[in-house]
Amino acid sequence: MARFHDLKVTDIHHTIRDAVVLTLEPDDPAAFDFIQGQYLTFRRDFDGEELRRSYSICSGRHEGKLQVGIKRVEGGAFSNFANEELKVGDTLQAMEPMGGFHTPLDPANAKNYLGFAGGSGITPVLSIVKTTLATEPRSTFTLVYANKGVASIMFREELEDLKNQYLGRLSVIHVLEQDAQEIDLFTGMVTEEKCAQLFRTWIDVESVDTAFICGPEPMMLGIARALRDHGLDDAQIKFELFASAQPGRLKSKVVSKQAGKQANQAEVAITLDGATQTITTAKDMTILDAARQNAMDAPFACTAGVCSTCRCRVIEGEVEMVANHALEDYEVEKGYVLSCQSFPVTDRVVVDYDQ
Amino acid sequence: MDDMSLKDYLAEGGMLTSPANVPPRYRAELLKLMATFVDSELAGAAGFADTINRGPGIKERIAAAKIVLEKTDNADKVLKIMGDFGADEVRYANHHPWTARLDRDADIGTRRVEHDMRLAVFNYPLEGWGDAVVMNLLMGQAVGVQMGEFVKVSYQPLAEAFRGIAPVEARHAELAHEGMQRLIAEDQGDQLQASVHYWWPRVAASFGIGNPDRFEALREMGLRHTPNAELKSAWEARAGETLSQLGLKAT
Repeated sequence: MARFHDLKVTDIHHTIRDAVVLTLEPDDPAAFDFIQGQYLTFRRDFDGEELRRSYSICSGRHEGKLQVGIKRVEGGAFSNFANEELKVGDTLQAMEPMGGFHTPLDPANAKNYLGFAGGSGITPVLSIVKTTLATEPRSTFTLVYANKGVASIMFREELEDLKNQYLGRLSVIHVLEQDAQEIDLFTGMVTEEKCAQLFRTWIDVESVDTAFICGPEPMMLGIARALRDHGLDDAQIKFELFASAQPGRLKSKVVSKQAGKQANQAEVAITLDGATQTITTAKDMTILDAARQNAMDAPFACTAGVCSTCRCRVIEGEVEMVANHALEDYEVEKGYVLSCQSFPVTDRVVVDYDQ
Repeated sequence: MDDMSLKDYLAEGGMLTSPANVPPRYRAELLKLMATFVDSELAGAAGFADTINRGPGIKERIAAAKIVLEKTDNADKVLKIMGDFGADEVRYANHHPWTARLDRDADIGTRRVEHDMRLAVFNYPLEGWGDAVVMNLLMGQAVGVQMGEFVKVSYQPLAEAFRGIAPVEARHAELAHEGMQRLIAEDQGDQLQASVHYWWPRVAASFGIGNPDRFEALREMGLRHTPNAELKSAWEARAGETLSQLGLKAT
């Protein structure tokens, strides 16, 4: 089960106008011995509702500090809080580092790595670049970094410094959507075609051992297609999905105050794959069984309350979940239940498998 | 360019990378897929464990023990990923008696029994060493075909786990093949042929019936790529050829 730890904010650095790098000091440093490319999941209450957000670590393993980069997202509760309200000395809560956006490093390696980052997708890639160059003295790294314009490049100076520090082993290609550059090829977006052009002239793709991609979805798809076209197989391409794909805030559950609890039968409205069926069922039958008996292909696996495949969300009414070995308290608070373990309590219950 | 739904991203071959960016229906189908694999490996390993002592020689017993160990380990690798989604790994490993089997002549088709997600074929009991070797060869080659599908799954941590598992499973099928060759050399062809007759349709059924709507939904999520019927024919061709090299017939 996930465990949260306290982390003290010891530094806040604005890299560009709307992004911050937080330096964090965990109460349990051993728990935060991260691998390059991993992320932290933070939790915080906003208006009484717990919100969780993941941000990638941008420091290198060898640097002896824990840093995450947070770019402000329009309407994003956590990113706005971090950019505008958070102060040095405040305490945040985060889970231990997670994620598999990395490959094993070995000082004996002489490999060529290729990284693609779009916007704030640079954060895990920067951690990988720094750690790799420090750990594998014979390896090289080429970074293609896409941004709207010069003003929105996070870590621009830091990358320049790294280039000087690892002379000849790090090359950085900035591709800017709006600002014109000396070389036409470096203007525009990083698409499949742009990659193919880069591979013709600037990047020796045939010598690449592993490619890392982190950015918006269409960009990642285009790059992956270009890499596959140029001979890389799936095992050589590592993706990290952009943080913007995280689900937004959920509306809180409707609690009907006058919900009746008299009858032995309940009316259960079940939404699955966008379609809703209303079923009249006995209150001693689980929500999952009620759905399956009515030919709904509701998901399940263990039917013992341990795997959480059958998770759904109660939108209205009340159910009793008799066993739960999989959902966390914060999920239960939001109305999530294991449908294989949940029996209707109120005469009317509305559940949704699509939320 | 930044505005692309996860649905479109997945339909075009995008990869998801953590429980935090997985949509609810995808989560459910992914967990089902993982549960099917874990349950099949645990049930397969548990059923095969009894066979270790029936191995005619020490080499055979080592091979059988290795298969039991490694299938359990493969289950553990995928169960860990289920754990990332909240599944209770310790309870999961014990929530069902994995050695439980139906009668040898029970007819359940592609149906799974209640309470666990193992493929139907893992509900039938093994009868002796030769029978176990035949089952392992046929199912091992079926798993080989399935692995080609699984390594393409759109959840990157699972695809990576399967890339590690695939060669281990392929080796199990090779061990079964070597075992078959020895038994054939010892003139046990008739008994093996009887076992092939028994297991062939049951392994074939493990590819499932294939509901086109459901396949399409899973294909759009990047959780499936090749229709069941196609996978089944690939296996039939491969297993059929192996059997004919051994001097046996598929059906």
